Amino acid sequence: MLPYVAVIRDSFHAALTSRVLWIAFGAIWLVLIALAPIGYREDFTTTFRSQDFHNGTRLKAMLAQGLVDEQAKETPSGRIAAVMPDDLARQLRRVGEGDEVRIRLRLLADGLNGCLDEESWYDAEAWKSTLRFRELRELDQLGDDLSESQRRRRARLRIEAAFPGVFEARASRSIMLTYAGLDFPASYAVDKTRFLVLINQYVLPLIIEWLMGFVLVFLGILVTASIIPDMLQPGSLHLLLSKPVSRTMLLLSKFFGGCAFVFLCVLQLVVGLYLIAGLRLDLWNIRLLWCIPVSVFLFSVFYSVSTLAGLIWRSPILAIGVTTIFGTICMLVGIMGGVFDGLVSGPAAIQRLTMVGDTMMGATRGGGLVWFDRDENRWIEVFESNALSGDRVIAPIALGDDLAATSQVKGGRFNPFGSGALDLMVLSRRDDWTPEPSLRLPTATSAIYEAGDDVLALNTGGLALAKKSTILAAYGSDEGSDSSGDPPQQQQEPAGWLAKLTNMMGGATSGFTSILPDRVSMTPPRSVLVDPSGRWAIALMHGRLIRLERGTNTAGPWTLVTDRTLPGEPSSRGTIAISGKRMLIARNEEPIRIVDAESFEPIAQVELSQALAPLAAVGLDDSGRFVLMTSDGRCREVRVSGKDGSTCQLTGPLPFRQVESITTDQQSGRLYVVHHIDRIDVVDPSDLSIVEQIRPSLQRWRLIDRYVMSPLRMLIPQTGELGETIESMVSGKSAVTIDDGSEQGQVVRYDILRPVLSCATFITVMLGLSCLFFATRDF
Amino acid sequence: MTSSTGTAEAERLLTRNQDDFSAPADGVEESIVSVHHLAKRYAGWTLLGRRPVDALNGVSLTAKAGDVFGLLGPNGAGKTTLIKILLGVVKPTGGTAALFGEPVGSMAARQRVGYLPESLRVDRHHTARSALRYYGRLSRMGAGEIERRSDELLELVGLRGRDRESVRRFSKGMYQRLGLAQALMHDPDLLVLDEPTDGLDPVGRNEVRRVIERLRDSGKTIFLNSHILQEVEMVCTRVAIMARGRICGSGTVDELVGDVRSEQVTFDLLLPDATDPSAVLLPVFAAHEASDLNITPMDAAQGSYRVAARLPEQKQVDEVIDGLRALSISIVKLQVKRPTLEDMFIKLVSMPDEAN
Repeated sequence: MLPYVAVIRDSFHAALTSRVLWIAFGAIWLVLIALAPIGYREDFTTTFRSQDFHNGTRLKAMLAQGLVDEQAKETPSGRIAAVMPDDLARQLRRVGEGDEVRIRLRLLADGLNGCLDEESWYDAEAWKSTLRFRELRELDQLGDDLSESQRRRRARLRIEAAFPGVFEARASRSIMLTYAGLDFPASYAVDKTRFLVLINQYVLPLIIEWLMGFVLVFLGILVTASIIPDMLQPGSLHLLLSKPVSRTMLLLSKFFGGCAFVFLCVLQLVVGLYLIAGLRLDLWNIRLLWCIPVSVFLFSVFYSVSTLAGLIWRSPILAIGVTTIFGTICMLVGIMGGVFDGLVSGPAAIQRLTMVGDTMMGATRGGGLVWFDRDENRWIEVFESNALSGDRVIAPIALGDDLAATSQVKGGRFNPFGSGALDLMVLSRRDDWTPEPSLRLPTATSAIYEAGDDVLALNTGGLALAKKSTILAAYGSDEGSDSSGDPPQQQQEPAGWLAKLTNMMGGATSGFTSILPDRVSMTPPRSVLVDPSGRWAIALMHGRLIRLERGTNTAGPWTLVTDRTLPGEPSSRGTIAISGKRMLIARNEEPIRIVDAESFEPIAQVELSQALAPLAAVGLDDSGRFVLMTSDGRCREVRVSGKDGSTCQLTGPLPFRQVESITTDQQSGRLYVVHHIDRIDVVDPSDLSIVEQIRPSLQRWRLIDRYVMSPLRMLIPQTGELGETIESMVSGKSAVTIDDGSEQGQVVRYDILRPVLSCATFITVMLGLSCLFFATRDF
Repeated sequence: MTSSTGTAEAERLLTRNQDDFSAPADGVEESIVSVHHLAKRYAGWTLLGRRPVDALNGVSLTAKAGDVFGLLGPNGAGKTTLIKILLGVVKPTGGTAALFGEPVGSMAARQRVGYLPESLRVDRHHTARSALRYYGRLSRMGAGEIERRSDELLELVGLRGRDRESVRRFSKGMYQRLGLAQALMHDPDLLVLDEPTDGLDPVGRNEVRRVIERLRDSGKTIFLNSHILQEVEMVCTRVAIMARGRICGSGTVDELVGDVRSEQVTFDLLLPDATDPSAVLLPVFAAHEASDLNITPMDAAQGSYRVAARLPEQKQVDEVIDGLRALSISIVKLQVKRPTLEDMFIKLVSMPDEAN
């Protein structure tokens, strides 16, 4: 290997004497010097921002009510409304009087921020009725012995307590970016851990992706394109070939040596970023160094093209030209692939599957609703999946073997509060699942659950119940009158402006009754589990776990029987599932916990890899077995074992890939795994064997996507997707969750393997062709 | 007269079977370069279709250990193709070629060959020393051996003292010296030198020539491709002349030149009585078997004449001089012209294909 090592060393030597390299070094050092003064400062999260509002409409309504409703004036919301700036108060009064007034969230945020410094609005008695989280209780206990930041923080928490269901979950600490000791204008309401995750997952990969993917690759090709043609000069090539070296190895050595240029640049940039992140942000992320081989790998894709072109035409100019054309083709195919992902395959992915009798019904990522026609072996659309419409469909539930209920939120992703009409839609097999409106859902309903003879609707802050019979009666079905002996329970509806304000606040609408006890608000992030027979409901919300049980008074609030605060960051998303008497709790960056389903007493726990985020879980049967779907698109079994059931075991990935969703059929007990967009495997829960595979036939664009775009994306290396590989490697995560207004958020899985495989195959083929050409050709 | 004699000699050489050029004198085991019926056809294309080009047409030759083998030929004769085949750069389409008994292009063969290309190109980031280190490593030499040989060779080629200077500042001559040093780096048994003195000034040429002579004296086998016939004549022990992809002639310089040895002697004479110079001179030359006699008046009024004749032996020249002096003819100037390799080269390469 000595001669080939010499060739590679010589390439390094050549690269180090290149002026372009030193210019690139200079540019890299300028970038690093510019980035070096960036630092951060941590402080309490105090100031409100418009993005802090989960439901601005509710805030507007609560403030308006506080101003116009005499009974509400001494409530916390009323006391805060009283100190709003005059201009805002005037607008809020108009809202309270029933006018359609558009108030910018920023204006509301400014109004609340004004309350942070002056706390005349606070009255301990009034706040006693509010739900105070642990942090506020602790600050209250400290009395007046608080710093200015702590005092402002306490004021913010009091305001949040006064307006339940209005605010997004925010960390108690915020990060303020600084540059050379000066504060940036913007601060980020995330704690340090999340800030570092943000830096890891977005900022650093983005810097590296841009600098590597575009600047250095292009610069690298410009510099290295002449290496092969130069080697082919007679005075150089004949001498090299006269040496006792293999032509193939010589070419490969030249190829790897050519990567030296980019390696040296990337090495400096990445090590520089690593040191800056470590020294200035206290972020010593050794995974950042993975960017070095990945970036060289990315460059080698293009360089393999340049090498072959250089061998054939012996011209650096042609090599650069061909490589540029190739890069353009890669980019175009990447864009087309992205378009197909975004408009064809992405929207068709089934995010939630429900069994309605023997019919499978799914809510798609594109806001569509589909049901599976077994005769035609294809999905039939009820609501069309369309990525551009922004509509969102609430996961359907079964109202019986032949009836289902759902709702479509128009412009849902951009209108998460669901303002405007939000009807519960009932679909009947008899009408070929054509949706017909039924009851009006509470404002901003984001999920509905089957609860025996009832249906529960979850919105921004509450959980409301409606009788199935009422729903069916409103739908106009004959079935409704037969299903229950109870007459439809109509809530006493307040009249006029108050009714309007109540609706705006997400209060129960006609036919729905709130079942939440006092001082319980469904604060996000949350995960709700409802007993199919309707006896109980369990909710994980903002790190708090509660169990509600139906009381004897079926019309009133359910009883809060268990309440426990979980350790860890409250704003972490999570999922829960029940199997027999055991409950699984899986939250981001927390171990998987098994607790008693009634007392919430911990039973066992098992660690989940930090790279994985739990997305959904289902209980398999009553024996304490669960299937957990994780962010890598795989499923794992969680099993409680041991004599006393105190041991928890997490198995390796089950044989399903690219899993979109999992669900169990209550009737058959079978597990349904949706994977590869809309394929379904029906699994026997006892041994997790596949009993049925459903492979729907494809239509139009899906056919083109599978048989044209997918092969094309395998043939043409998807260099752009290597950015995802970098993001995944730097962050150590397999997916990222984007808040799209839905309960679980939109999970974007990093496609790590495909770009690596596609690029590696391409490099192998190109180098193989180059070696064949070089070894057999006369020079 | 001269022309007809030369052509005849060339024809005689060419009528020898091509295999005769390759016949080793002292057994096959001493053959360093052994080429038999080597052919190379390049695929060529024109607008009218495929037009293959025959670069080599059954070339056979042998170079023995210790030979300084000169390869001569006009441009396009196939010399470079032959060298490329010997180095393994180009694959032959017919025949066989071996170095040291190993097939050309094999690692074993290339391990024992040092090559100086015609236009050596050393990457600009190198110094003379780093270039020697690089090429030494390519020849699988160890670090210690590379350092030792580098010192010796830099001294040998006169680059000591400038060995840490970037090759960017090197003149053509310095490049050639560096090329020679790298070719010698791994102490090869066979040196293939392609135009080693090309671009050098007379001093440089002389230096390179002396290096070659020293290598020859040390027993190295050298395969020399050069356009400079005088150089080949001076240093080569064996020569092959190529034209149109064939070997036209091969052997030692003396063998090649000796085959046409028939010296032309020119006399500038001053006759005491110039009334009939032919009558006076013809008997003298005819008596000593002179051929191709040619008498040209230089200044007839003064009795000054130039006589050219072919006299193969020195004894005949002496006898003619004696005869002239006996007739009181003054010999103002005597010039003996020997035939050169160039004469032979031009004769051989200008032969039509049919003759070959």
